[in-house]
Formats: sequence, C-alpha cells, structure tokens
Amino acid sequence: MNTSDITHGRAWKLPSDISSDQLISARHVFEFDPDLLSKHLLADVRPEFAQQAQPGDVIVAGRNFAHGSHHSHPFLAMKALGVGLLCDTLARGPFRLAIFMGVPLLQVGSDVLAAIEDGQQIDIDFRRGSIVNVSTGCIMQAEPLAPFLQDIVNAGGGLAFIKADMKGVR
Amino acid sequence: MGATMTQKILARVNASVERTAPHGQIIWAVPDLVSAPEVSFYAYIKRLRDIGISRLAMPERVAVIIDHEVPVHSTAGAERNQLTRRLAQELSVGHFFDGVGITHPLLVERGLVRPGMFAAGADSHAPGLGAVGALSVPFGFEVAMILATGKIWMQVPETIRVRLHGRCPDGVAARDIVLATMQQLDDEATSYRVIEYQGDGLASLSVPERMTLCGLCVDAGAKSGIAQADQRCVDYLYALGVHDAQLLSSDDDAEFAMTIDLDLSSLTPRVSIPPAPSHVREAQALQDIRIDHAYIGSCASGSIEDLRAAAAVLRGHKVHAGVRLLVIPATQRVFQQALEEGLLTVFSVAGATISASTCGPCFGGMAQLTAGERRISTSTRNDPGRMGSHDAEIYLASAMTVAASAITGYITDPRQFVGAAKSAS
Repeated sequence: MNTSDITHGRAWKLPSDISSDQLISARHVFEFDPDLLSKHLLADVRPEFAQQAQPGDVIVAGRNFAHGSHHSHPFLAMKALGVGLLCDTLARGPFRLAIFMGVPLLQVGSDVLAAIEDGQQIDIDFRRGSIVNVSTGCIMQAEPLAPFLQDIVNAGGGLAFIKADMKGVR
Repeated sequence: MGATMTQKILARVNASVERTAPHGQIIWAVPDLVSAPEVSFYAYIKRLRDIGISRLAMPERVAVIIDHEVPVHSTAGAERNQLTRRLAQELSVGHFFDGVGITHPLLVERGLVRPGMFAAGADSHAPGLGAVGALSVPFGFEVAMILATGKIWMQVPETIRVRLHGRCPDGVAARDIVLATMQQLDDEATSYRVIEYQGDGLASLSVPERMTLCGLCVDAGAKSGIAQADQRCVDYLYALGVHDAQLLSSDDDAEFAMTIDLDLSSLTPRVSIPPAPSHVREAQALQDIRIDHAYIGSCASGSIEDLRAAAAVLRGHKVHAGVRLLVIPATQRVFQQALEEGLLTVFSVAGATISASTCGPCFGGMAQLTAGERRISTSTRNDPGRMGSHDAEIYLASAMTVAASAITGYITDPRQFVGAAKSAS
C-alpha cells in the first residue's frame, strides 16, 4: 500500500534545473482542477508521464527543482497523481508549496541521485528518510523533513492540517 | 548582535509572546497585508469552503486584484471575474481593484504599503513591495491558509546584503543592477535568503526603480528582496498620502550571510538570454540577434520612469518594419500620467501598440509567440513556453534596451540612442 510516508513505485528521472514552467506551462495558471492539471504535468519534457505515472511513483530530480514562478500547479498535480519527490535542491518557494500540497519529499545528495536510473523500482520511507532501489538492491539514507513539516505532509497538506488545527473554532 | 530589516519585521509580526526572530527559527507570522489576484483567489475560497471554512480571519487586510486578464478576453475569464467580484463583496475584503493595474505597483501606488510591513502575496513577484522597505513574500496557494487563519509559518531567513555605490551611467537602468547581482549569486547562494539593497547608491534610485530591484529577486532564486527605507522612500510615500512612513534599515552589526559591493558607475546594459533570467550577457555581445517582438511593461518594469526612459529612446524614431512593439503601463494611473506627459503619443507615433494595464504578456495570457519567434521584453521570466510556443525565445532587458532593439530590429545596446538624444537636445 502507499501512504504519504511509505511508497513503492518507479523512478522518473529528470535533469537539474527543471523549472516550474517546464513542469506545467504558465499558460495553465488559471486551472486549479488537480485532475486536469495532472494531464499537463511534464507535458513538454516527458509527454508519456501523465499517461503512465502511478501512485507511489517518484520524480527524481537534480538541483534547483521547480525554480522560477511560485506556481502551486505542479504540486497540485503531483498530489493528485500520488507521486513523491526526491531531489538534490529546490528553492524555498517550491519547497513550501510541495509541503503545503502534501507531496512527500526528501532532499538527497548526488550519491543517491547517481544510484537511481530512470524506470527503476524505488521504495521510500519518507518518515525515516530511507530509500531502497529495488531494481539494484542499493539501500540509501537521506535526512527526513523536520517533524513539523512531516506533520503537514502527513495530514494531507496545509489545508487539511489547519482544518484539524481549527476544529471547534468554526 | 543587531538585526537585519527582515529580522526586525518578522520579530514585530511574530505571533508568539517572544517577539524575536533569530535566523533559522520557525515562527508563526501575522501578515499586515495579503494579496491575491483573480487567477487564484476564487480557487482558494473554494478549497476553504470545501473544508468548511467560510470566513476570512482578517478580511480588512486582504487585497483582491483583477489584473491577469484585462480586458477580459474569454468567457471563462468573464465568469471568473464575476465570481471574484461576488466573493470579494461577500467576504468583505478590505481592498478590491478591478482592472486598474498590476498588483504590486498598484498596492504601492495606492498607499497600502509602508516600511516595516510584512506582506504575503499569492503572486510570485510579490517581493516588488520591498521597494518601500516591506518584507513581501510570495506564498502561492499557501495564501489560502493565511486567509483562513491570519498567519503563516516562516523560518526566519538570512540576508544577503548588496551595497550599491555611485550611480548608473546614461543608458544603464535598475534592470542592469539586478542582472549584475544575478551574475554574482547562483541559486545555491540565494536559496532561502532575502536580498537587501542598501548603500549610498540606493539614493540615486527612485521607488519604481527599486521595485525592479526587489521584484526580480525571486528570479535570482531568493525568498524575497527588500530595499532600505531611506528618506527618498519616505518622501515618495508622503507624496502618495502615506504620512506615517518611518525610516528602516538593518543594524550595522547585524549578521549577513554574504555582502556584495556593486559600483553602479561601472555597469553596462545587460540581457537575460533563454532559458532563465539568471543567464546574463552583455547587450553589446548580442547585437546579431534579430527580434520579432518587443514588450515594455509588467510589474517590474511598467512604471512611469520605465516609460519615460523608453520614450526618450524612441522619440524621433520608428519601430523597425519587422518588429511589433507592445507597451503596457503597469497601472491605470501610470497610463494617465504617461498620457499627460505625451509619452503615449511618442509610442503611438513610433508605431507601438498600447494596451490596458495587465500582467497578460508575461505568462502567455496575450500577445503570444509562435515557434521560431523572438521577443525582447522588460517582463520577469523567460522560461521556454512562457509566452506561447515552447520554441519561441524570450530575452529580458531594461525598457531602454527593449526600445532601442525595437528600433533596429536586433538586440541593441541603448547607449548609442541615449547619447544621441542627449546631444540633440
């Protein structure tokens, strides 16, 4: 099974410096339906992605993931598809938006990225930061998110988090 | 140990009893101003209603702005605007602007921003408000959380100090200062940090020019940008009717992550080449690149000063036969002022198209490009596909560089035109 913190699926490997606009073109800014946005995710970079991605799959990117405009759209789509994220670095804006949308993520070093090829099967325990490349048997470790941020992701994102927080207030 | 401007602001708005903001600490911060464009406001409200939240925590601090599709040019847009107007009224938002300008310059122009404020924006280029010494952070969809709760978590960011010295030569603009800054700071340096502009050179820059500096910090990968609130800033706000603005600066003994010194007098016109704003070249080195389209406008470069600078270059010239030039004043007031100063006549006589204030071209919402076309633009980003076809190319530069390029049909260093205009007058 796939919960927010334990996933099994295939790796979708991307290069460094994939911009927010490359994830979902800025012309879709007016669209907020996650199911429609899912069809546009990576359309210009990996056209087969939207058709083939399954819950539990993981985008494995390099440095500076989702840089550029602070668009929520790629993360709405990733959440809807049930796709997680491993990357070397990502700017503060997309980092926050990924967490707010409830997308599980780990920031990993170049050694982890080097040990994962596109299409390989990957098991991830986001809570513990452990990563297993099932295709090669390679076991890796990364620093998990701070507990406060894990709480938001595990609640299903920021809105679910505040809903719990505000229970009884409204 | 002293505090940076960012620390002073976050300490004041820290929701906990300890009004402090040490670097790296996670705090809950209470924004003084929250802005959302029509692009997303309705979507936030829908999501909140889906989870049973039907009221805004602090509606009087909320500004809703119709600016991305103006004038509306789709039935879906008309429906979205109608819904946005209704929601703004139902929820008693404090400020509602309907097609009268682009959010960030509009909020400053209407006197809603002052030094020391903490502002939260849904739009990426919210840091433009840093021009008047406010800390303005883009939060995207997280604005929904702020609308519901009136607060947002922040990990107090470090500051990169950029000290400006001297003043820009003729033909060099605030854009060139930002691009020079980007050449010294990669994404690793700027990530999760605020870029603060200060120094004696800052006094030579107007508030609209500072909007260019601060707004484009996002495109350097920074969390936000802020300019020291000096006497020039306070005087500018006073003229707008903001009579309670105070000077604000970082303490000399504050802790900075980095310090960069820029000698403005040594700067030259620069251009961002595809695929990202941080890919910077000298304008002179790009003079063989032919362009099809030129655009002057956006939240970062559609001010009266940008239009004056562009008009000074274009006066007495025609836009090249192979080029279309689009000019969009950032707000309706800027439009009106440009009209009164005769700038719009200069643009019109030169052959430019002038449109109503909107963000449109910046994200491919209007004036789209097709495959193989090239645009030089004063807007904020040049990602492939940003303005239509993925196979169109976007170059970013100052209003002077864009105007000079529109005349020649090639990317052009504007100093020849600025010099010529000077000697003729």
